[in-house]
Amino acid sequence: MSEHAAPAVKPADDPAFQLPASLRGLQMPLLGGGLIALLVGMGMAFAVSDADMPRFGMSAYLAAFLYVLTIVLGCLFFVLIQHLVRAGWSVVVRRVAECMMIMIVPMAFLFLPILFAVFSEGTLFVWTDPDFATNLHLDNKMWETKKLFLNAPFFVLRALVYFGIWGALAVYYWRGSVNQDETGERAATDRMQYWSGPAVMAFSLSLSFAAFDWGMSLAPMWFSTMFGVYIFAGGILAAHCVITLLTYVLQRAGALKEEVTPEHYHDLGKYIFGFIVFWTYISFSQYMLIWYGNIPEETEWFFSRQEGGFGYLSIGLIFFHWLIPFFGTMSRHVRRRPGVMAFWAAYILVVHFIDIYWIVMPEARVVEQHTVPSFGGPLGILASLLCVVGMSTLVIGLVLRVAGGNRVVPVRDPRLRESIIFENI
Amino acid sequence: MDQKTMSETKIETTVHGMMAEFTTVDSLLSACRRIRDAGYTKTDAYTPFPVHGIDKALGIKPTALPWICLIAGATGTCIALAMQIWMNSIDYKYIISGKPYLSLPAFIPVAFELTILLASFGAFFGMWALNGLPKFSNPMFTDPRFDRATDDRFFLYVDASDERYDANGVRNLLADTGSDYINEVVEDDSPKEVPKPVFLIWGLSVAASLVPLICILTMRVTNSSKPRFHIFFDMDFSPSKDAQQVTSLFADNRAMRSDVPGTVARGQMEESLDMLTGIDVEALTLSDPPRVERLVRAYMQADDEAKAEEKEAIEAEEKVAGEAAEAAPASVMDTTPWVAKNPLTVDAELLAQGQQQFAIYCSVCHGMDGYGNGLVNQRAQSINAPTWVPPASMHQETLYADKYPDGKLFSTISNGIRKMPGYAGQIKLKDRWAIVAYVRALQKSQNASLDLVPESEKAAVESAVAEVKAELKRQAEAAEKAAAARKQAQQ
Repeated sequence: MSEHAAPAVKPADDPAFQLPASLRGLQMPLLGGGLIALLVGMGMAFAVSDADMPRFGMSAYLAAFLYVLTIVLGCLFFVLIQHLVRAGWSVVVRRVAECMMIMIVPMAFLFLPILFAVFSEGTLFVWTDPDFATNLHLDNKMWETKKLFLNAPFFVLRALVYFGIWGALAVYYWRGSVNQDETGERAATDRMQYWSGPAVMAFSLSLSFAAFDWGMSLAPMWFSTMFGVYIFAGGILAAHCVITLLTYVLQRAGALKEEVTPEHYHDLGKYIFGFIVFWTYISFSQYMLIWYGNIPEETEWFFSRQEGGFGYLSIGLIFFHWLIPFFGTMSRHVRRRPGVMAFWAAYILVVHFIDIYWIVMPEARVVEQHTVPSFGGPLGILASLLCVVGMSTLVIGLVLRVAGGNRVVPVRDPRLRESIIFENI
Repeated sequence: MDQKTMSETKIETTVHGMMAEFTTVDSLLSACRRIRDAGYTKTDAYTPFPVHGIDKALGIKPTALPWICLIAGATGTCIALAMQIWMNSIDYKYIISGKPYLSLPAFIPVAFELTILLASFGAFFGMWALNGLPKFSNPMFTDPRFDRATDDRFFLYVDASDERYDANGVRNLLADTGSDYINEVVEDDSPKEVPKPVFLIWGLSVAASLVPLICILTMRVTNSSKPRFHIFFDMDFSPSKDAQQVTSLFADNRAMRSDVPGTVARGQMEESLDMLTGIDVEALTLSDPPRVERLVRAYMQADDEAKAEEKEAIEAEEKVAGEAAEAAPASVMDTTPWVAKNPLTVDAELLAQGQQQFAIYCSVCHGMDGYGNGLVNQRAQSINAPTWVPPASMHQETLYADKYPDGKLFSTISNGIRKMPGYAGQIKLKDRWAIVAYVRALQKSQNASLDLVPESEKAAVESAVAEVKAELKRQAEAAEKAAAARKQAQQ
């Protein structure tokens, strides 16, 4: 029905569906460089750690980990949602999300250091420190109740459950999609649609609880039921940005030249715009309820994010995570220009790290002495950046490796043609 | 042949344009492109479902609706913020749960909602305006075949007001695109009058809708032994208490609650200590620092204890001064450095205010003229009240401004003197200063000479004085005559 003649769907082994050689060659450099950057960053971060900031090293690692994990989980959610609503438009960009989604498997291995940190008292989570309650003069009865949830064995059990759920979902949807490339059976799509409803429910609950465990429990006396949604909002936004950016990179390298059109960028742009607003809505709701309630144990979390330079970061998030990209991606003309959308996607990915950093790092100080949170000086900032760049590069290298062994589009998806000829009204 | 006769019979009627019917989307789209490429702009297509790419095929420009939406939304944000800032931070400052008057986080929800509301209105009504709605009829409806536009037919329409429009040219062009049915769109000749029964039904409905209202009104005002009908029961019988009523809610059974200790009513703590006490605090600091400290505690921090202490101290020394007038050490009233001049700007308005307050609170004892013979005094004299101390006359020299400073007078009004109680609780701060100003005016008035009267009004005053004198003389004569008459009668 479009203005142009409908393009023919290319055969499954067309070079347009293969990872271009230029990207294929990047795998090993990215993997090696990423690993080195991560290790150097970790080393520097631990060098910054001292009596004043005993948790800095592991916190920098956790920030990098949560950054990549939220994006990977966002991509998993993207895939689930596309199946849940039987979306046709997204098929050409879905494999990119699937390659990101399957990264949950290496992420489970990257989680191991955090698991170890739980058993070495107080190196990451203050609640693992046996003297924590005494030092803070906490009410014993209350602390005993909190400890029913916040204890190392239960923490490990929950982590296993989360990774179990996500890993199972990711592997199931990955296999279903990749096998369909060979068999072309329609039943695979139906199966994936059938399971998408329960999958979304399991995903939402596990993500929310994981956010409570790994983000919120850094400040164990603080609580916000909105926090899980907040982490999700940032993650799904960043996921759409990663899909946009990686698709753009693939196109620049020569793949998917005719399959992905400005129409797809337009739709991804709508998502990015929408989730910028969603992130703002959620984070402001969380802030306003706590600010208005003005209960000491709740405001404490925001208070420590107004001290020692983190106040600038908090204000900065309003402008750089909402206002600027909000107006930047508002126009339809912007969304229909792949290059510009790729820029905004990269921009949001940077801001998303600032968001995660802002959640994790203020808790790296010695809580019991109420010292002002700090960035750890230039070395600390460099260490944090090296950690996240290293981990991201590592994961991108793995994504390229996975993509190189498969096709970059679900070539036999029954809705592939619909996706290729898709047009916004 | 059939078409020809049709167009001949309708030759008188207005022609709106030309329409063509298509059976498939593709034929419609290609026709749209032909029409667009031929340069027609006032065109429209009618389809039973949305067709992708028809905008481009018809050459329809992107809509301005997003801009309308954006501007309306931004207007909503501005209105919401301006409204809240004006209402809560400027016009009626109100503290809500200890937040500042202008607290943006609290304003965001309303700003957000209003942005959404106006953006939606912008989208909704903007769409109407852009589509030329509301429109009750479209000339396309005159063609019976057009009904299938909601079913399985596609229509293309070229308006006659298009610059390039030429009936035959358009017809040929459309025929060239493969349409089977091409017809001129003409004015609807069905009657435009609204059928009479519609008005009747409308009128009856309006009348009927009034019935419940009238029933309720009747029930509200009718005389009946049965209880009256209440639409909003809790508005007729509000559970709230009136002043002075009794309640079982509080231990003291008072419905009216007194201020929580330490609180100050809005606007009552905004003046300087000089004005609050009538004391020149700067001078007092030099002579008696502890007392200043006590005053600050009492007034600025609303410490009742300190206030009571201060009052006691004044009263005690007052008593000493009263009991042993000669031998006693100088009274605190005399040693205190009082404010010499009324801190308020004395003008006619302030004097009028002072006169009103004086008449309300002071004149009952001191008299309207300030000579100390008010109604209460007259009554006390006539019943020979044993404990009555006659109120002072305002017109004794010891009370003039040079001997009795304004601040001292103010303090007397506020805290009382001898039998007179303090009026700080009844009379507002500025009103007390206004009374001070009025008393000064009252004192001056009793010693005024004719020189003080402006030249222009001298004559009027003189004639008034003469009149009063004549009147007094007449009254005196009358009284004399009456006395003489009484004497004669007794004899």
